[in-house]
Amino acid sequence: MEIRPIFSAMMRSKTGVILIALQIALTLAILANALYVVRDRTNEANRVSGVDDANVFMIATLDRDVDGVMARQKRDEELLRAIPGVASASWTSQMPLSQSGSNTGVQTNPKQTDSVASPSVYSGTEMLIKTLKLKLLEGRDFNASEVLETDNRLPDQAKPKVAIVTKALAKKLFPNDASVLGKLFYQGRGDPPIEIIGVVDELVTPWGRASWNTDQTGDESFILPARFTQRYNIYAVRTEPGQRDNIMKEAEKVLLAAVPGRLISENNSMDQLRENRYRGEHTMANGLLIVIGLLLLMTASGIVGLASLWVNQRRKQIGIRRALGARRVDIVRYFVTENVMICVFGIVMGSGLAIALNRAMMSELELQRLPLAYLLMGAVSLLFLGVMAVLGPAWRAAQIAPAIATRSA
Amino acid sequence: MWNYYFLLGWRSLRRNPILTTLMILILAVGIGTSMTSLTMLLVLSGDPIPQKSERLFVPKFHIADMRGYKAGDKPDFQFTYIDTKNLLRDKRAKRQTALFGLSLTVDSGRKDLPAFSERGMATTSDIFPMFDMPFRFGSSWSADADDKASNVVVIGPELSEKLFKNENPVGKTIKIIDRDYTISGVLDVWQPTPKFYRLYGSDATSRPEQIWLPFTNAVSREFSNSGWNNCSGEGAGSGYEGWLKSECTWIQYWAELDKASDAAAYRDYLSAYVAEQKKLGRMPRPEPFQLLSLREWLEDAGVVGRDTKLSTWMAFGFLMVCLVNLVALMLAKFTARAGDIGVRRALGASRKEIFRQYLIEAGVVGLVGAILGLGLSWYGVHIISSRLAEADDFYRMDFRMLLITLLMSISAALLAGLLPTWRACQVRPAIQLKSQ
Repeated sequence: MEIRPIFSAMMRSKTGVILIALQIALTLAILANALYVVRDRTNEANRVSGVDDANVFMIATLDRDVDGVMARQKRDEELLRAIPGVASASWTSQMPLSQSGSNTGVQTNPKQTDSVASPSVYSGTEMLIKTLKLKLLEGRDFNASEVLETDNRLPDQAKPKVAIVTKALAKKLFPNDASVLGKLFYQGRGDPPIEIIGVVDELVTPWGRASWNTDQTGDESFILPARFTQRYNIYAVRTEPGQRDNIMKEAEKVLLAAVPGRLISENNSMDQLRENRYRGEHTMANGLLIVIGLLLLMTASGIVGLASLWVNQRRKQIGIRRALGARRVDIVRYFVTENVMICVFGIVMGSGLAIALNRAMMSELELQRLPLAYLLMGAVSLLFLGVMAVLGPAWRAAQIAPAIATRSA
Repeated sequence: MWNYYFLLGWRSLRRNPILTTLMILILAVGIGTSMTSLTMLLVLSGDPIPQKSERLFVPKFHIADMRGYKAGDKPDFQFTYIDTKNLLRDKRAKRQTALFGLSLTVDSGRKDLPAFSERGMATTSDIFPMFDMPFRFGSSWSADADDKASNVVVIGPELSEKLFKNENPVGKTIKIIDRDYTISGVLDVWQPTPKFYRLYGSDATSRPEQIWLPFTNAVSREFSNSGWNNCSGEGAGSGYEGWLKSECTWIQYWAELDKASDAAAYRDYLSAYVAEQKKLGRMPRPEPFQLLSLREWLEDAGVVGRDTKLSTWMAFGFLMVCLVNLVALMLAKFTARAGDIGVRRALGASRKEIFRQYLIEAGVVGLVGAILGLGLSWYGVHIISSRLAEADDFYRMDFRMLLITLLMSISAALLAGLLPTWRACQVRPAIQLKSQ
């Protein structure tokens, strides 16, 4: 093997070697951590909502007064369903990813002092699950007779007795049970028990995973069959594929015409809600991707630059080696091996640095532990980059004619 | 000699144009990235009201009951209606105010302007002098209007221009939802940065609300808050009345003291208040209440988000890679000039002179890099601001950041230039002259 002579040669120009190795080490430290953050943010931004994102939108009305709102809600739903191309529509208390809604602490035992979970509460009609196109894993959907009409301005309103929970909430509430159907949970100390009658696969909360609280995974929600008397009403609407954008405009006209003095305060597709919710995550991920791109470009150009310098410094030696019988491929192999050695040295340093940076950020910023896969991914891509970057200069070195050995300088 | 070296450094930029361009680009990109994230960090951690931030305080009580209690839990970040009413009545601070967000409808009555929704604040008349809010026309409503829950309103400049163009609307009325409110004043443009007074239920980068009306009025009209409503314990009770009597927290409370040293006395008052409430069976948790200064409040609410800090870390890591790259490039550039150095040394220049000359050359690279970096940071900040802040130009570079950019760029270049310059000093004239 020619590692020993290469190593001795490297020791003669330590500065360059250390600079390249240091650059690779720093690049790896940032690359691994940045890749991890990018992956984490993109995963969150693309998370499954459980909703038929492509065809669902929300439209919210703000009426001048609250009297007669129940009748208006039902009429609004009828009007929406009557629009050609609308598959389903339902009143709802909140929308997934809309960044507005409510959470509540729930217990599995009325005497419990701790909340077992703090899920998001959706209230809606018997049409809500069909409208959002949630996947019912087990149990049944609500029926129309279960939907309560509550007016929070009045005392002693009936409380819902049944609920449909998400798979994640079921797991959190009853971790050891195969089926949660028929199980009871409690919302408040004085409230009656709520029976679980169904489980849906996914229904993201209005916030998704909360950035301020990594415990909030964003998939724990439950749905109660209820309508509220309020001025502000949200309708979820699902359309036939491809018709959403036109129907959104139509729905606005229809609802505005239905009640004088009414305002449409929001009219957003699921895609828009998702975009608004994850704008920060996208900006972060895109910013880091730019940084990653620049980093790789810089490291590659650094390697090309120094390798070219070394090739130029060693023209004579290369000529001598060629004159003594080394083939072109030997010259290329020399430079590639040399570079791989430097890269490996840098990667070893960089792995330590990456872990140290991750630990520092874990304690300062409550970041998650960096999975080793990202380190490995970073290391492999840097090694690949290193070899690719040195090929050019190495190939040029291989073109040096043996005759150069005979010339002075 | 300094001027001459500076000129030499300037001229040397044109030598090896590719290498030089690369150096400047790398430095500028590194500086641009770091300054973009640093600007975000500095803007968010800025003092929104420096003239009185020392004297503004937020009390925080433990409202929740013992359920789910863990030692060291933070107190509630908002107030119940009960405590708001009690503290406002006691008037133990120089000024005090309570506020909650509203989502309102404005009906202009004009044919060309259909009804629209607008964000509002329910608050007390103390808020305007408390936060030094500037008035364009008129003034705040009176303390009497606070007591009588009158239909009076202070509107923001954007709403005023939308409804009344540039005329003075004081004394006119606007219809909010279904009732007419008399305008007592119009605010001037005011963008506290970060927007500190309502950090829950609104974003620190958002525009101020355009409708401000008496707290008592909003309560008498049974307006619910737009924002957070945290009900622990028995829940909200029934009806609006039940909500007001409940342990739900949904109001933000501010106190202004005469001087920062009055905080101790105010703390005593609050602690007596808590003791009294405990006797009534409220606030069962053993943790003490908190009285946060404005700065502590911003910190507590996490205005400087984790992502902002994270990107600053990443950006400075990136700058370090840029620096290492710069070292390599300068090394290449200076090494190529060993001949020049040999001649200068042979002609009598000391190592110190060579050191000075090449370090100044590095500084010139830093200076040019700073100018380009400044442009890049300005662009980066602009993009970030338009994507992440609601208020226009919320993130922007001020004179301080300009100075930081300049200093950072030049010192980065000098730092990167140290090794190459030191190597340049090691050139032995005899060897150089021989090999020529």
